[in-house]
Amino acid sequence: MSGPMRDPKGATISFTFDGKTYQARAGDTLAAALLANGIGLVGRSFKYHRPRGIMTAGIEEPNALVTVGDGGRAEPNTRATDVFVYDGLIARSQNRWPNLSFDVGAVFSLAAPMLGAGFYYKTFFGSAKRWMFYEYFIRKAAGLGNAPTKADPDKFSQRAAFCDVLVVGAGPAGLQAALEQAEAGKRVILVEQDAILGASLIRDPQKLDAAWVAATATRIRAAGGRILTRTTASGYWEHDLVTLTQRLAEPGEAPSSGVTQRLWHVRAGQVILATGSIERPMAFAHNDRPGVMLSQAARTYVRRFGVLPGKRVVIATNNDDAYMTAQALKEAGAEIVAILDARPEFSDAASGAVSAGLPVWANAVPSSVTGARHCLSGVTALIDGQSKSWKADLIAVSGGFTPVVHLHMQAGGTLDWNEAAQAFVPAASRQNVSTIGGAANPDPVFPVTPVSNPKKSFIDFQNDVSLADVDLAWAEGYRSVEHLKRYTTLGMATDQGKLSNMAALGRLAEKQGVSIPEAGLTTFRPPYTPVSMGAIAGAGAKNAGAHVRRLALYDVHAAKNPIGQPLGYWFRPRAYPQGQETLAQAALREAKAVRTGVGMTDVSTLAKFEVSGPDAAAFLDIICATTVSKLAVGRGRYTFMLREDGIVFDDGTVWRLDENRYLLTSSTGGADRMATHISYVRQYLCPQLKVSAVNVQEHYAGIAIAGPKAKPVMDALMKADAPRHMSTVPSDIAGVPVIVLAASYSGERAFEVYVEASKAASVWAACEAEVTAQGGCLYGLEAMEFLRIEKGHLVVGGEVDGRMTPMDLALDKMLNKAGGYVGATGLSRPALSEPGRRQLVGLEAISGDIPEGAMLITQKGASPEGHVSAAAFRILEGGSVALGQLKDGFSRHGEELIASSPTRGQEARVRVVHPHFYDTAGERYRD
Amino acid sequence: MTDVTIAPLPAAPLHVFEIWSNPAAVADRFKAATGFALPPTGRSGGNDALRVIRFEPTVWLVEGDVSALGDVLGTDGALTAIGGGIVRVRLSGAGWRTLLMEGGVLNAEDPTFSAGCSASTIIDHVNVRLHVVSDDVCDAYVPLSFSADLLHFWQEATPALFDGVAH
Repeated sequence: MSGPMRDPKGATISFTFDGKTYQARAGDTLAAALLANGIGLVGRSFKYHRPRGIMTAGIEEPNALVTVGDGGRAEPNTRATDVFVYDGLIARSQNRWPNLSFDVGAVFSLAAPMLGAGFYYKTFFGSAKRWMFYEYFIRKAAGLGNAPTKADPDKFSQRAAFCDVLVVGAGPAGLQAALEQAEAGKRVILVEQDAILGASLIRDPQKLDAAWVAATATRIRAAGGRILTRTTASGYWEHDLVTLTQRLAEPGEAPSSGVTQRLWHVRAGQVILATGSIERPMAFAHNDRPGVMLSQAARTYVRRFGVLPGKRVVIATNNDDAYMTAQALKEAGAEIVAILDARPEFSDAASGAVSAGLPVWANAVPSSVTGARHCLSGVTALIDGQSKSWKADLIAVSGGFTPVVHLHMQAGGTLDWNEAAQAFVPAASRQNVSTIGGAANPDPVFPVTPVSNPKKSFIDFQNDVSLADVDLAWAEGYRSVEHLKRYTTLGMATDQGKLSNMAALGRLAEKQGVSIPEAGLTTFRPPYTPVSMGAIAGAGAKNAGAHVRRLALYDVHAAKNPIGQPLGYWFRPRAYPQGQETLAQAALREAKAVRTGVGMTDVSTLAKFEVSGPDAAAFLDIICATTVSKLAVGRGRYTFMLREDGIVFDDGTVWRLDENRYLLTSSTGGADRMATHISYVRQYLCPQLKVSAVNVQEHYAGIAIAGPKAKPVMDALMKADAPRHMSTVPSDIAGVPVIVLAASYSGERAFEVYVEASKAASVWAACEAEVTAQGGCLYGLEAMEFLRIEKGHLVVGGEVDGRMTPMDLALDKMLNKAGGYVGATGLSRPALSEPGRRQLVGLEAISGDIPEGAMLITQKGASPEGHVSAAAFRILEGGSVALGQLKDGFSRHGEELIASSPTRGQEARVRVVHPHFYDTAGERYRD
Repeated sequence: MTDVTIAPLPAAPLHVFEIWSNPAAVADRFKAATGFALPPTGRSGGNDALRVIRFEPTVWLVEGDVSALGDVLGTDGALTAIGGGIVRVRLSGAGWRTLLMEGGVLNAEDPTFSAGCSASTIIDHVNVRLHVVSDDVCDAYVPLSFSADLLHFWQEATPALFDGVAH
């Protein structure tokens, strides 16, 4: 451009672009402000680093992508047409080095003939390692903006909303529809992606002006309607669920209340789409240069922002709409040097322009433009087959209109072909959605066939895809439009083909010799317009989207500064290091304390269910694969549960607390699954039973005390004899009622104390004092793992991995011989007892430490016959041991194998043994 | 504008009250013992001493003194303590409805979700039970393990609750 294109009066907002300070007016988009300041070159193209300017005035902008903001707030690939300038805005151009005007990468433009469609596929052959080498340079040379390296300091919100009618788009049709629905008593939400309402009325206020827009909005609100601006409908899902992305702050701007964007989940009774249409560019040589702009965009800059985007203007069109642009530009002081109308005959609008003294040419299409990096200098056209050129600094093009139908398609709708408009328009939908306004009734246009050099005629500006690339893909056998898209990268990246799809389809159809609808259409998938990852993650963006479940005794543990470990959603102490101890040292010390003295740990996360009622035992006999109904009051037993197909899916213990009251415990990781299973059995398999099964996982905190000195500790705490192994008694510790279970996971004499979680702190303190008095200590998950592996106890998710039967785990002798439990029928399938199944084994290291997860092989190069599910060190004796699954493992004790982990580069020679390495007779946990 | 206050309430006895047989007879005994009827689905009932919230077809959440309910149930149901694992949170002020839409899936803005209504729902991935006390007060029953995070979530959401929302 040749200097400022707007009177600087009224420009009071300061912003920077590539480090230089400029002024903008309130309400300017960054694109408008750049044009006003005479900046025509805004970015470099993705692949060839060609100079790119501002082509549109809306979210369809493919060229003017900039990084806005600084530090963690930096937002790359922001369309300059979709960010409103605020004081202090920092914008930087992208994909250039060392600067925008002199970009070394522009050399790729010279190599363009070699970098066409499929270049990567044809060039970068070789091993994966070589690709890593290539990729480094490719990423350096090509691309869009860089993701910020600092964390985003702002927050994201997600919110639900319900309405009778959701209207998307606040142009004339959307405003009118929202008004009618709201005043008919419907709960209405009207959303508009712009900062102000009106859409096409903002640039064309002749029929309905800003006053009408304001009055209509007031009436909608008065009728209870909700209007959301800066809000984009980003996805249409099943059951008329529509997601909206709302900007509460502009890109890079510090939000006033901390929240920068909100993702709405709107469940609507009816959706009305008034999404309008997007103007299409035309294909001609160098049509990607700064100074090539869509016609309606030029009109928008003049009428909305008071910016004149060019002083000598050529207009190219195949429809009547562009004549309004000619009028607007002329009124603003531009010289219209030519209007190129592709139609062979003058329309009424064209004749009117001629009468007004404008130079209109029929049967005229642009063939090329010339210019420098920052601006356009000339336009050449073919008029009745003859070439003619003009000096011009702007060409405003209108190649027709593409209805914005993505939401309709995402809703499962179909499209019809509108021959007059040369466009797809919404047809039937299986959801309650309708389309109105320009999106349903686009203006008629005249079909134009490109006449220029296809190598320089771009159709996808964002991905540097030219007509020649489509031709090449066709020549190389890519017939499907979906394949064409992927081979050429057409329609990808942030603009999702908003400007390019129809041009590509037209070219493909031309090659195929079919009509455009016969050539096919790619699938519209959400989001059509980019959505920040933070908005998708919501408030949990800083936590990988998940809450952390805290133990009831979280503060007690935190005060001891343990090493923490996520366990499902829980966060539990892994070890309590002393001094400079490492995790391994701390865990081994804690495990030794349990083996030789006493230790205590928090087991609150175990699943717990209280089962009550006269049919409680019968119910548990269905849930559990072991016999429960024969338990005496005050006794407990180990149990496990099967899926309906006979596979073990969880294990735990069951305790008879009273005549008709049981406590069932199961694994932490399977707690939610077990709750679902119990509910399923209760409600579907045996609703007739008189039983209540309540999830009390969080009601009770659990404390395990284990070791040879556990019994004296418990005797002291209870002031009575602690129960014998697999017995339970109600008791009282520190004045708080508790349930004491005598059960061992460690292999030592052990107890579990269950106490109402809100009262757990005093019980924990009493237990810790007594354990400490006995010379014991706390232990965490790591020590617990050492202990249970050495003892050969199973863990759900490790040995119980969703593939193992009770027979595979050597649990079959415990099965309820009377049957009747869930999985009994599935378990009878012959395949589950056939040879060749993987079975639980122990593994002793002969040489090296056994790597967890290693495959078990007989020799190098042989196929794996099993794997190591858990590995540990023997606590007192030393040496590496493990549990694993091995094909026909029960019959292979004594065999030597290799435990190999190629991904870790570790290997050990192992001997297959019985999976119990410690106290195989089970004498240590009995009195 | 914030207009919502988030305050954890002291621990209180909470029980699951489940009926497996003779529901009509239990309902009669319940009314006779407490002076009010067992509330239907989606409703709660009671008084200062005893609040009862129905959240499954045969299950109610009972808050308060349950000493009389064992006899009410007899052999037709069971009473199970769950209060140790639940934190009660009081949301007060006109903005509680908007707050519950944050990370929610329930239409808390529906004016018919009013005093005496209850719901079992998900808020920011956490299972929460709600009881509308009055136009300006709603009590939430939050799992203990999630309570610190959910309270933090609500407190973080509050300052921006009405940003960008214009009726």
